[in-house]
Amino acid sequence: MLTTFRDVQIPLLAVLLLGGCASKGWRALRARSILAAMTTTGLFPLRSGRSAMVAMCVTELGLGLGLIVTAGGIGASEAGLPATVVRAGTALFFLIAVAALNETRQRRPQAGCGCFGDLSETPIGWRTITRAGVLCAAAIVTIGLPPLHMPSSPTTAGLWLATAALELSLLAFLSPELGEVLVRLGYSEPCELRRLPVGQTLTALHSSSQWRRYAGQVSGAVPADVWREGCWRFVVYQGSARGRRVDIVFAVYLQARRRPPVRVAVLDADTDEVLGKAELASLGLSTRL
Amino acid sequence: MRHSADVSRWCDDVADIAAPARFARRPLLRAAVLGRRDEQEHPSAATAENGAEAGTRPLVYTVMGWILDVSPHVLVLHTRQGEQRVPLAACAQAWRGGKLPPAALRRGDHVIARRRLSGGPAVDRIWAQVGRVTGTIVEREGPATLLIDEGPAKGRKIVVIATEAVGRIQVRFPRLEPGYLIDVIGLKHDGFLRALIPATSQPPYRAGHPPAPPLVSGHVPDPVTGTAVWHEPGEEPEDLLGLAYPALDPETSCERAGAAHGAVGDLHAVDPHATGPGCVRLPYLSVGSTLRLRNECAKRSQLLPVTSCGAMARLFCDRCVTCGTSRKGRIADLTLAAFVELGGVLEDGCFNATMTIGG
Repeated sequence: MLTTFRDVQIPLLAVLLLGGCASKGWRALRARSILAAMTTTGLFPLRSGRSAMVAMCVTELGLGLGLIVTAGGIGASEAGLPATVVRAGTALFFLIAVAALNETRQRRPQAGCGCFGDLSETPIGWRTITRAGVLCAAAIVTIGLPPLHMPSSPTTAGLWLATAALELSLLAFLSPELGEVLVRLGYSEPCELRRLPVGQTLTALHSSSQWRRYAGQVSGAVPADVWREGCWRFVVYQGSARGRRVDIVFAVYLQARRRPPVRVAVLDADTDEVLGKAELASLGLSTRL
Repeated sequence: MRHSADVSRWCDDVADIAAPARFARRPLLRAAVLGRRDEQEHPSAATAENGAEAGTRPLVYTVMGWILDVSPHVLVLHTRQGEQRVPLAACAQAWRGGKLPPAALRRGDHVIARRRLSGGPAVDRIWAQVGRVTGTIVEREGPATLLIDEGPAKGRKIVVIATEAVGRIQVRFPRLEPGYLIDVIGLKHDGFLRALIPATSQPPYRAGHPPAPPLVSGHVPDPVTGTAVWHEPGEEPEDLLGLAYPALDPETSCERAGAAHGAVGDLHAVDPHATGPGCVRLPYLSVGSTLRLRNECAKRSQLLPVTSCGAMARLFCDRCVTCGTSRKGRIADLTLAAFVELGGVLEDGCFNATMTIGG
């Protein structure tokens, strides 16, 4: 039973370390800047914070991969030095984390730990510190563990799974990030707050029937103006109709659908008189911004 | 075919003074395509028809200028319209770093005065040489001199905390250290602000780490309530009626200016565009969009155009306590003229506001 418990720790620790690194990396990808992604945590002093966060991410990646590589026969004989070094390093990493989290909680109670990128913006509490302590203990019990093998029987496999499930439940209970993940999984950002590139709006506009109807009147190669108000992005083209200079105003509803609703109005460019307007009621949308 | 063209040409470059007519025309075009909510009171539509700039409606309650002469009963000002003689109400109060009788104001001072009644002749409140600095502390020299970064659009300002105000300001701003936020009101001098009044309480977090707002399901609430503050005119016309909006469309607006902010790489300067939405979730708008803002303390409301980027307001998750306690977060950063026109008291720094998008 104890051996099974020790066996389960290595894959669990590896997954958590790689998950922590991946979530920070994902944030960097989304922000298109490593530096921007590494500024949320309050764990480190401002002067060295960014480089320390990068170093932490690299350490997590190294230890996670190291645990996997040395788990089997490659370096993990009874007294395999590489395996022992990696596992002791993991234990030390989480031990330092416990101390750093505790210190940060006292000095900056409003700061999140940043352990899993922007999922970890909840102020550090006893759960986060206990989690680091549990992981430190888990790393300590793996020191001296013989190489891992596939379970020898279905009973052993079941025991593995049950132990892993139990420990994962404990870690989930100790993770404030879980609530954030569940909220985000079921969350759809309102259209007023969704960032949508202008290019996407123009692509949608140019494939709409409204565009085809008015394209013949458009004379400008590019829009004269583009702006956004809430759920609508407005695109103005200069054009001509029946010998008059006109402005053709398209309003494109900002949503992820391929064919968003598009409205159009044509105004005399000199007098601002509205010359033509699409039927609004048929679109079935409110004019809410 | 057309959509790959230069996107930057549509950006609401806030320094682009050649484009105010384009911004002023936007409400008119929006109304043409979506319908107008309020035909009667649409300032930008009216100004577009006149070919004027957005937000340059005449001031009703407010008069601004430089003092030519002052007596217990009359204030003579040099304004943009020329010399103006303004009668003083019997109960008129002036502010010049503190309350004082109007006759004690100095010639040459820049003042903003508020009339008691709409369009009435007499003024009852006068503020002289009033200034404000809102931003991130990037340097501290000695006990009372600070260099403040006001964001990409406004640059940096020097604040010198007045000796008599050190205690008062440090109670509300205990961390006068680089990396923390500051918002102070005081007297304008050449090249610096002499800080006298804390405009809010210092947020406990570093400038780059404002708390995330709660997620919104469905649509963003409209109207939105929160805090309205004011800012100095900077490069804007001083009598501009408008507001700096904290959530301009990042694809076509001032977030691009943020990317080019000269402070990138500076240890303590914070680009407010890179810190998330701040503690209020506001719908994305653009320069030229119109909002109805109501001062809940003075019970006065007005339709105002968005005239610039107010991303710095996102960093402040504070509350206004001018009349009751407002909801957390700054929803509008008004021009000096708009703040006074709506009945705000400049030395209070804020009023509790309700904002309706689109009017």
